[in-house]
Amino acid sequence: MRPLTEEETRVMFEKIAKYIGENLQLLVDRPDGTYCFRLHNDRVYYVSEKILKLAANVSGDKLLSLGTCFGKFTKTHKFRLHITALDYLAPYAKYKVWIKPGAEQSFLYGNHVLKSGLGRITENTSQYQGVVVYSMADIPLGFGVAAKSTQDCRKVDPMAIVVFHQADIGEYVRHEETLT
Amino acid sequence: MSVLNKTKWKGGTLQIQLAKESFLHRLAQEREEAKAKREKSTTGNNNLLEKMEEVNFHMKAVPGTEVPGHKNWVVSKFGRVLPVLYLKNQHKRKIIEYDPSKYCHNAKKIGEDFPNTIPISSLTWEIEGGNDPMSKKWRGEFSDFCGPSKKMKKVLKDKVSTGSLAMNPRSSWVMETTSCTKKTCDSITPNKSPPELGSDTQKFNNVLFQTSGLEIARKKNSMSDDDIDSEDELKAMIAKEENLRRTTWSSINESEDDPFEVIRDNFKSVVHKLHLTGLDIKNNVSCHVSDNDIMGNDCEYDSGDIDEIIAMKKNVDKKTSCKNRENSELSGHFIKVQKRKNNVKSALTHGVKPLNCKSPSHSSSSEDAGSTSELAESEEDKEYNAIMKNCLCVNLTLADLEQLAGSDPKVQNEDTESDSLESTTHCKCDRVSKSPKTPDSFHRGQQCIHSEEIVASLLEGENTCGKQKPKENNLKPKFQAFKGIGSLYGKESMKKSLKGNVAPNNINEDQNSLKHEDPSSISMENGSPHANGSSNKLTPFQHAERANGPNHIQPQKRQSTFESPDRKVVSSSSSEKGSRNPISSLLPLKGKKSLSLSAKTHKIGFDKDSCHSTTKTKVSEEERSDSNSLASFNKSPKVSSRKDSQESKTDLPLSISHSSDVSAKDKHAEDNQKRLAALEARQKAKEVQKKLVHNALANLDGHPEDKPMHIIFDSDSESETEEIPTQEQSHPGEELVKESVGKASRKLFDSSDNEESASEDDSSRFKIKPQFEGRAGQKLVDLQSHFGTDERFRMDSRFLESDSEEEQEEVNEKKSVEEEELAEEEKKALNVVQSVLHINLRNSTSKGSVPAKKFKDIIHYDPTRHDHGTYERKKDDQPKEKMYYNIATDLKEIFQTAKDTSEKEEDTPWNEDCSGEKLEEIQNPATLKSEAEQPGRFTFSFFGSDTKDIKEETYRIETVKPGKITWQEDPHFQDSSSEEEDITEETDHRKPIPEEASVPEKETTRFFFFSKNDERLHGSDLFWRGVGGNISKNSWEARTNNLRMDCRKKHKDAKRKMKPK
Repeated sequence: MRPLTEEETRVMFEKIAKYIGENLQLLVDRPDGTYCFRLHNDRVYYVSEKILKLAANVSGDKLLSLGTCFGKFTKTHKFRLHITALDYLAPYAKYKVWIKPGAEQSFLYGNHVLKSGLGRITENTSQYQGVVVYSMADIPLGFGVAAKSTQDCRKVDPMAIVVFHQADIGEYVRHEETLT
Repeated sequence: MSVLNKTKWKGGTLQIQLAKESFLHRLAQEREEAKAKREKSTTGNNNLLEKMEEVNFHMKAVPGTEVPGHKNWVVSKFGRVLPVLYLKNQHKRKIIEYDPSKYCHNAKKIGEDFPNTIPISSLTWEIEGGNDPMSKKWRGEFSDFCGPSKKMKKVLKDKVSTGSLAMNPRSSWVMETTSCTKKTCDSITPNKSPPELGSDTQKFNNVLFQTSGLEIARKKNSMSDDDIDSEDELKAMIAKEENLRRTTWSSINESEDDPFEVIRDNFKSVVHKLHLTGLDIKNNVSCHVSDNDIMGNDCEYDSGDIDEIIAMKKNVDKKTSCKNRENSELSGHFIKVQKRKNNVKSALTHGVKPLNCKSPSHSSSSEDAGSTSELAESEEDKEYNAIMKNCLCVNLTLADLEQLAGSDPKVQNEDTESDSLESTTHCKCDRVSKSPKTPDSFHRGQQCIHSEEIVASLLEGENTCGKQKPKENNLKPKFQAFKGIGSLYGKESMKKSLKGNVAPNNINEDQNSLKHEDPSSISMENGSPHANGSSNKLTPFQHAERANGPNHIQPQKRQSTFESPDRKVVSSSSSEKGSRNPISSLLPLKGKKSLSLSAKTHKIGFDKDSCHSTTKTKVSEEERSDSNSLASFNKSPKVSSRKDSQESKTDLPLSISHSSDVSAKDKHAEDNQKRLAALEARQKAKEVQKKLVHNALANLDGHPEDKPMHIIFDSDSESETEEIPTQEQSHPGEELVKESVGKASRKLFDSSDNEESASEDDSSRFKIKPQFEGRAGQKLVDLQSHFGTDERFRMDSRFLESDSEEEQEEVNEKKSVEEEELAEEEKKALNVVQSVLHINLRNSTSKGSVPAKKFKDIIHYDPTRHDHGTYERKKDDQPKEKMYYNIATDLKEIFQTAKDTSEKEEDTPWNEDCSGEKLEEIQNPATLKSEAEQPGRFTFSFFGSDTKDIKEETYRIETVKPGKITWQEDPHFQDSSSEEEDITEETDHRKPIPEEASVPEKETTRFFFFSKNDERLHGSDLFWRGVGGNISKNSWEARTNNLRMDCRKKHKDAKRKMKPK
């Protein structure tokens, strides 16, 4: 367990900023306490100071996880967001996509969102912008990357992919072993 | 013989012998002998058995004991005496002895309960269910019966009264009830042997069935209040009638039997066949069919116009029965009625030919009426009279018929008239041939049977089962009676029809009249087939037969149709109008005879099958026939009739009769409502869930930044607004650029400071006892702990040593080391965030998220401030058209989101059409107002004479300035900003009035929404106050003072009041 290096932090923040933009600073600079990111087993955990101190009592090799896992660094040192970060991303999301009830299941099974399943989308969403996917009942289902800009979404045919799947809450079931 | 034998006579020898017995004679003898033998043998056997049994009983019933005196007889199990058998073995040539007593254990005795046979009546079962309309329907109960029937009766009443006599409502009631009961009987127990079939067993069955049916009917009746009354009445009537019956019983029986036989003889060929077929059907198929078949047979043997014939017969029967009952008081009435009939005949003869058509049907109905009248008689004397009156009506119709017939070709006596009528009108060879043979006797016999039997059957069937046997014969006619009820209505209808024929214009007078007319029309139809269809005698037979089958199959349907008599009536009335004419038209048309005939047969079949008891049924049938004739001249009358009836049901929303249907509908509606309510509740629940989710999300992780954007922007704007005044003009752009990051950094410091302060606070919290702080304090703590909580040794601050400060600092440092580390980390993170966000910012700006940011920094123009002079425009140079255009477009791009428009923007469109139009859309009324306020200053006008002024104004837009400021230090936007700067410079030069220039600037950078101290509002204030601003102000102040004083006074008063208490 160690703090992130500058490079790691940057990579991670860049990734997170894709979804929540400048709201990222609200994650880092929280008025309700000190929160920090810790790297453990290639995974990045978002931990409050309190829990951090508590976790310090556990030896590194015995520690499975602490705080909330935001994602992990791949071998190529890219950062990959995990679905567990959704709780922190959803409230700050700048660009959102709502999918129709019929497409919820498809998305929750790890599929991309087609235009036919697109219920709503934030305007001015640009292509490849990170978006948080909500159900029509405003329940965050996961996040993805906009495959088309909002303007383009209007033109494409209904079977075209609108949002690339990144993570969904179905992973809590599907990746139960690996999620921490 | 011997003498004469072998004598020669005429050249031949005679051989004389005893003649052989005739075959038939011998056969009869042999049969008799056989019978006698059988009897003997049976008796002998019985004797033997008796003996045996005696022996057995006296014996010990031990299996295996031989019966004394009988060889090879053994007592086997259960005390039975069985023979010992010697059987030859198939394969071996050995004789096996089979001693039943040794195999007795294989035998089983069938349960002793078996002999307890269940009475047939109890075999009928009821569907148990709630009071739902559906379940009632299943049970065959139809609530509609009573209401509509009443109406009908009333109508009848009216008619009767018009005719001459008034019916008793009671009688009508009774009729209804009886009809209902009969109906039920039919539905429940279709096995009603026809009256013609005189087999005792059949009768017995009939009796049983009837009784059971009556019981059931009673039950059903009990379901409806109206029925109950009628029931009671019925019972009472029956009881009264019984006495009369008994007195006249014997004579009637005698008369009955003979005429009955005669009738048979007359109709032998037809009737017998029919009977045979009916019997066969009964035996083979089932009890249900038998009734209908028989009924159908009756109709059939009458041939196509059975109705008429029967009606005639019955009428005659009625008359005869009346005569027979001369002993009873009623007969006189009847005769009178007949006389009246004749009178009526004369009166009614107006529409002879149409009447003819109707007459046959009328006759049938009259027949029915007669039977019904008979029923009524049985029920009550008074009612009987009334019914007799009804009969009179019927008679009248008959008389009319007769008259018609007579007028047509040949008329003699009334009795013969009926026959002749039939023959003449219907041209039925069979009928004619048969009827003339034995008209009077035949008719009378029928009468006797019908009237008396019916009454007796009614009485006995209802009263006692024990009396049924003697009156079995009487029970048969019940059906006829039922028919009669229906026919009664029919009669009335007939009357009406007659009237209607006489005066067709009056058809649509009243509903009642209409109702009456309906049946009449129906009867017309029926009659028409008869008249026209005389040639088609045999066809009706077939039709009738066919009809019988389907009728049975669909009794429920009929009932349902019966349920809504009102509807039917209405429908019939409605249809009647139309139908009448068509019917009349149809009459001449022989091609449609078959149709009408079929309809007729339907009628008959329905009547007889359904016991013909209910007027409702009749009406419905008539209706159907009407509908058939009217709606479809097709040859599938049944189907069409059903459809019609259904249609009529659906179409006619009469509430009373439809109660069941309506209730069902209501139920449906209720169900729907319930479903809707459930759905709503579900939706609500869902919404609640949603809200819960929302709240949960909002409270997620206890983030106070649920609305992060707002917080950010607000803080930024605030900070910048504060900063802007302090900072110099050249710097605001910087601030803007750095806003988020800088803010964050600032916050960083702030937060770190805060943290430190927080830590200090914490320490202070623990410093509650400052003497324990630091190392020195620790000593004290130790001491204190050593001393315990003893008050005497409490360690005060006095004991605190003075060297603690340095150490305290050290401790603090130690504590804060970790925090500092964290803080540093945070700083780093924030730096990274800054860097990332910088990138983001650039990206976002490029993406167009800029405008929102741009408007965060609104520069308040304060004219009192000197440094704001830069915002003011100076003298304007010569404007360039090009520039205008550029500015306009820039404005458009930049202020897309901002609805705020300056006057210049308005004007620019004026100058340049293409850009101007779009800008105009952006204008909001507030700006217009402000413009309007300051007309003097602005020289604004859409049609300004001075283009130059306008141009100047357009140049004052200066909206670019804030944008320029924001971009000033942003390298990416240097180019655009520089351009704008140029423009602004140019515009500055042009400006004649500095204020004007400043105003637009502010506005352009402003949000659409008004904020406190909004410039626009200031302008508008001026406008609003206008002349009386000061005055109003003064008055307001004075008023407020006064009010304040008043309030204080009141307060004081109240206080004073409170004090004394």
